[in-house]
Amino acid sequence: MKFTLIYPKWKKLRGQTEFHLPPHGPVVFAATLPRNVEITFIDENLETIDFNDRADLIGISMMLTSQVKRGWEIAEEYRRRGMKVICGGIATMLHAEETSLHADAVFLGEAEGRMEQVLDDFRNNRLRKVYDYRTDFPPITCVGTARRDILKRQLYSYKGIQMVDLFHASRGCRFDCYPCCMSFVGGREFRPRPFEKVVEELTTIDNNRLYIVDNSLSQDTTWEKQLFREMIPLKKKWCCHPIDDDDEVLDLAAQAGAWFVYQAIFETSEFIRNRVKRYHDFGIGVEGTILLGLDRHTEDSIRRLINFLLEIELDLAEFTVLTPFPYTRAFSDLQGEGRILSYNWNDYTCDQVVFQPKQMSPERLQQLYDEAWKTFYREKSQPYRMFELFERVIDKEIADGSFQRKPRTRASRKFGRGEM
Amino acid sequence: MIEDLILKLKKEIIEELNVENMTPEEVDADAPIFGEEGLGLDSIDALELVVLLDKNYGIKIQASKEGPKIFRSVKTIAEYILEHQKK
Repeated sequence: MKFTLIYPKWKKLRGQTEFHLPPHGPVVFAATLPRNVEITFIDENLETIDFNDRADLIGISMMLTSQVKRGWEIAEEYRRRGMKVICGGIATMLHAEETSLHADAVFLGEAEGRMEQVLDDFRNNRLRKVYDYRTDFPPITCVGTARRDILKRQLYSYKGIQMVDLFHASRGCRFDCYPCCMSFVGGREFRPRPFEKVVEELTTIDNNRLYIVDNSLSQDTTWEKQLFREMIPLKKKWCCHPIDDDDEVLDLAAQAGAWFVYQAIFETSEFIRNRVKRYHDFGIGVEGTILLGLDRHTEDSIRRLINFLLEIELDLAEFTVLTPFPYTRAFSDLQGEGRILSYNWNDYTCDQVVFQPKQMSPERLQQLYDEAWKTFYREKSQPYRMFELFERVIDKEIADGSFQRKPRTRASRKFGRGEM
Repeated sequence: MIEDLILKLKKEIIEELNVENMTPEEVDADAPIFGEEGLGLDSIDALELVVLLDKNYGIKIQASKEGPKIFRSVKTIAEYILEHQKK
């Protein structure tokens, strides 16, 4: 059986250096398909879809709201050519009803242990319109090693530098952060994968640099410490979401190869100042994900926030505008107050103001967003700050003997245009 | 003397960092080396530049507080080399 899996393209964050990571959802999903299924994976961010290529079934994997409209177009195009289409992924869950208008089937929830049935339904021409497992999580032990073999590796390197591989050690998140939909998608119960499965998968990844995409590693301190202990011998270097602020945890994280952490920052505070300092004390970098546009944000407070980021010596900053994704508290509040200005999901790229801010006009917030990028990177440019972070990981790799010099012959290659 | 060094540096950067569609004459020695205004180098190029300066001039630069000043333009790199080599 031929199964073509598509990852629709989307517009990248304005202001940020363009990069393309090997996607995680599709390779995790691919592991749920029986091994006799022949999978062709197309990442439309880096490749062009040839709609003339036939497959028995088309899968469209969508992670982001800003992917869905393109995903629907792709689905329609395949269906016009007589092929059946099934959609899945986080964004399919967030936009289930709309997506079902454009696909033969939508799969909602986690796919482990469920795809045999779906494929059997397809073969027997009884594909259901909706497979809804949103509140019925499969046992976490069912999560297998992601099928990274479906990726075209050469697409995910830049000037000979291989991009980080994505990996997850757990699902679910006990937090319910204001702008985040993860409690709806993966539930609020923290579900760690067995350590032996985590280590087994990590050892199969032919890449020394990883992005651990778990919602937060700060969910269960005992688990977190053991995870890092298990990872130390592997000598991987990785970035991740927050780690517990605890001496032993941070020390173990550093030993296990923590490179830098993504830290959400909404406002100036001693908590954040201390948090960044503590990471730095343990040799761990910090990239701030800065959210602008909360109801308490004024023009002055946003300017103070940008200056604060420079003062606390944040390594990198990624500025985003509050975006009311469906099934978040932000969406409920803003929709309830009639403040959502656009339901064009292509605008939900986190760099466009799609709601009425409380303390200023949408245009003013948009200007402040652009100003934030410029101000933060005025003295030290984005390439220079990224270079500093790269030096940090190279130093760590040289120290433990895991550094691999890139081949000189590949130095001029750009994303998606290289040769093997 | 600095003019000779600047020209040499421009040639080395273009050749060793594979800067496309640019001749040494087209590189403004005072323009920022990062971003689109000047040479358009990125973070990976900066790593290569560190290797180049070590290999060709025996100068070791670690990303530090003085790094952004050194890596401001081809001219500031040349000035740093001359200053460093005098010591």
